[in-house]
Amino acid sequence: MIPAAIREPVIVGRGLTQVYGAATVLDDVDIRIDPGEVRALIGSNGAGKSTLVKILTGAVRPTAGTVEVVGQQVHLGSPSEMIGRGVACIYQHSNLAPALSVLDNIFLGRNPTRRLGLVDRPRQRREAQALLARHGIQIDLDVPAGSLPAVKQKEVEILKALALDAKVLLMDEPTGWLASADVANLHATIRKLKGQGVGILYISHMLDEVFAICDTMTILRDGRVVAENAVADISRARAIELMIGRQLAAQTKEASEARVSRMTGSVRLKARGLARNGVFSGVDIDLNAGEILCITGLIGSKRTELVRAIFGCESLDAGSIEIDGAPIAVKSPSEAIAAGIGLVPEDRHRDGLMLGLSVSENLMMATLGRFRRGLLLDRGGMATAARRLIASLNVKPASETRQVRLLSGGNQQKVLLGKWLDGRPGILMLDEPTVGVDVGAKAEIYDILRAARDEGAAILVVSSDIEEVLAIGDRVGVMSAGRLVSVHPAKALTASSLVTMIGEAA
Amino acid sequence: MSETTSISVASAWRLAATHALPVSIAIVVAVFAVAEPAFLTPDNLLGIVRQIALVGIMAAASTFVIMTGGVDLSVGPVLALAGLVAYFVLGAGYPVPVAVLAGLGIGLFIGLLNGAAIGFLDLPPIIVTLASLSIVRGAALIVGGPDLHSIRDQPIYSAIGTGSLAGIPLPVWIFAAVVLLLVFVQVRTPFGLLVAALGENERAARLSGHRTRITKMLVYGLSATGAALAGIVLSSQVHTASATYGPFGTELDVIAAIVVGGTSIMGGNGSVVRTVVGVLFLGVVSNGMNLLNVPIDVQLIAKGAIIVVALGLSARR
Repeated sequence: MIPAAIREPVIVGRGLTQVYGAATVLDDVDIRIDPGEVRALIGSNGAGKSTLVKILTGAVRPTAGTVEVVGQQVHLGSPSEMIGRGVACIYQHSNLAPALSVLDNIFLGRNPTRRLGLVDRPRQRREAQALLARHGIQIDLDVPAGSLPAVKQKEVEILKALALDAKVLLMDEPTGWLASADVANLHATIRKLKGQGVGILYISHMLDEVFAICDTMTILRDGRVVAENAVADISRARAIELMIGRQLAAQTKEASEARVSRMTGSVRLKARGLARNGVFSGVDIDLNAGEILCITGLIGSKRTELVRAIFGCESLDAGSIEIDGAPIAVKSPSEAIAAGIGLVPEDRHRDGLMLGLSVSENLMMATLGRFRRGLLLDRGGMATAARRLIASLNVKPASETRQVRLLSGGNQQKVLLGKWLDGRPGILMLDEPTVGVDVGAKAEIYDILRAARDEGAAILVVSSDIEEVLAIGDRVGVMSAGRLVSVHPAKALTASSLVTMIGEAA
Repeated sequence: MSETTSISVASAWRLAATHALPVSIAIVVAVFAVAEPAFLTPDNLLGIVRQIALVGIMAAASTFVIMTGGVDLSVGPVLALAGLVAYFVLGAGYPVPVAVLAGLGIGLFIGLLNGAAIGFLDLPPIIVTLASLSIVRGAALIVGGPDLHSIRDQPIYSAIGTGSLAGIPLPVWIFAAVVLLLVFVQVRTPFGLLVAALGENERAARLSGHRTRITKMLVYGLSATGAALAGIVLSSQVHTASATYGPFGTELDVIAAIVVGGTSIMGGNGSVVRTVVGVLFLGVVSNGMNLLNVPIDVQLIAKGAIIVVALGLSARR
């Protein structure tokens, strides 16, 4: 168990319960974080993590339970009260004003003022510099926040929280969009905060990170705490088992061990010398029918740009692409789709889904042509096809008329994937297909991709997740600074050899 | 669960927002009926529908523009120019159908130009149609001058605005036909789905292989064609064409009806049916206030307040 706290815990929640109608989504949950403790909060989608975080940020008022911050009972359901007490939250997506400077972002909304309400900029700068020095963070205060790399933006958000004198930092999937090297940087920052006595609740789907950075973990399943452990006392396999239940855990393991040497079919997509000035160059790709080719590398290695260019979103300055031996010039996504290529973009909310439209409409969005009957749209046919896909993808709830907005992240991702999977086995490119998706849905998505591959689809996956690359890839390419450095059969790789390779390539 | 939270809170709001308008109409009708017995007479009710037909035609046709997240401010001058074009074509001795098609054609042409600038040059709709508002008004003044042109001895053309069928004025039938056609387009055609998809997420629509630029161009074409149709009906109703018809404020009436109906000004969520309900509501309120001799200044303030409340509700939908 956790060593007895010498100091008073920074935050204690007791008996937190949240009931919505007939559903109890959080059931008598206790949570406690000591100063300098990094506590992981893990669980599948639907386990109650988000609700717990919302209670701690004051976004929702629980049905029952109490929260104390540094020994003082707080009034629940008030975000301003929680912030005032020093509970800050860093969300997965950036909450910065991109055009404002780092300095302005840090003090956004509560700038120190002089007489007449004028902003006291010298004081602001002094305070910010003191903050940087105290926490050992290096960042240029005068550049626009939006111009910084993602990991630095996270640091700005952390600084913003620290400027509020935060005692508790809730971090919701803080590394969701970061590459592995940047994750290490962020973790270094977290360790510094630990040293300052900040208590951190680290919510993540990435068990690697949890084991790397956290001291303790609280595992939620179906709204209850199923385990509270020191990270050192629990194995990874046991943690997964607790999160998703024993049976599903076994299935996931089986699937990843079932990888065999595979015979692949003919070359579907052949690219030679692809280049976009100043972005990537000299990229050759042979993507075969019946294989999954993963491209990994650090963020900034231009993998996303490469697949977007192949898909016709951005133009190529040089190079040729052949599909099934026939040269084609793709100038727009509609031409790429006509040539049998699909793309699942990285940011599903920004680029992928129409959240206000139904599951059926989203699933059929890329293949509407199939449902054209003269000038009309065959809505009945769409619904039938959608129901079939929903069943095969195991989308929950299984309703084709439901707004996609109301689905969980994992199910939204299945819908996004599903829109390319009905009909002919084509060429499918996926950019970070399981970002922000829970372990259970991840396993399902892998199964879906493997099944499509086995039916003959040619699949290219861009991923920063080493575990994922090794779990689903038949071949793995490493990209660095706009070049595809090398391609290897996956069975020749181990996690450590791949990490080394990525590091050396960069 | 997070999903459950948002569902229960959101669905409560959605319930309030979805039913706010029918309930408001019922309340407003009840209040006016008690305050002014003349309100509920068949003549007055028919009068309301006749009064709203013109704005209704324009608002129904402009709904798709709002659903894509755009706006069309140029409807007023297009209305004026279409009436003038029809007048001159009639005056040149062409038959009525040619005059009507010429009027609609000029509307479609202007709308497609607006749409091309917005779709293909990626210019903001509010600026493009604001410029268009000025350009088309200028063009109408060049074509028609400052005078009223009276349309005489054109019984067939005059029948468009003044005739009736089964006791119901023809403009009301035209409004109904436009609505039916557009509802059909919205619900049953790929174009209709694409309009909603575009408003929801333009990037995703493009990545799904849709030619979003052409769709945009078409929605503005449709909106201006609706304004042109209203212009023809108006010139027929009042037996005159003028460059000054469709004055400043016409576009506000159109947008107000769409937004009050509950179509989101941010795009995506919306429907032609909602616009019809919005048109009816504003028509009833305006008629009732006229009957009660509410001064026009107070009416304007009331209309503005209604738009703000409607926007507040649609943001919660």
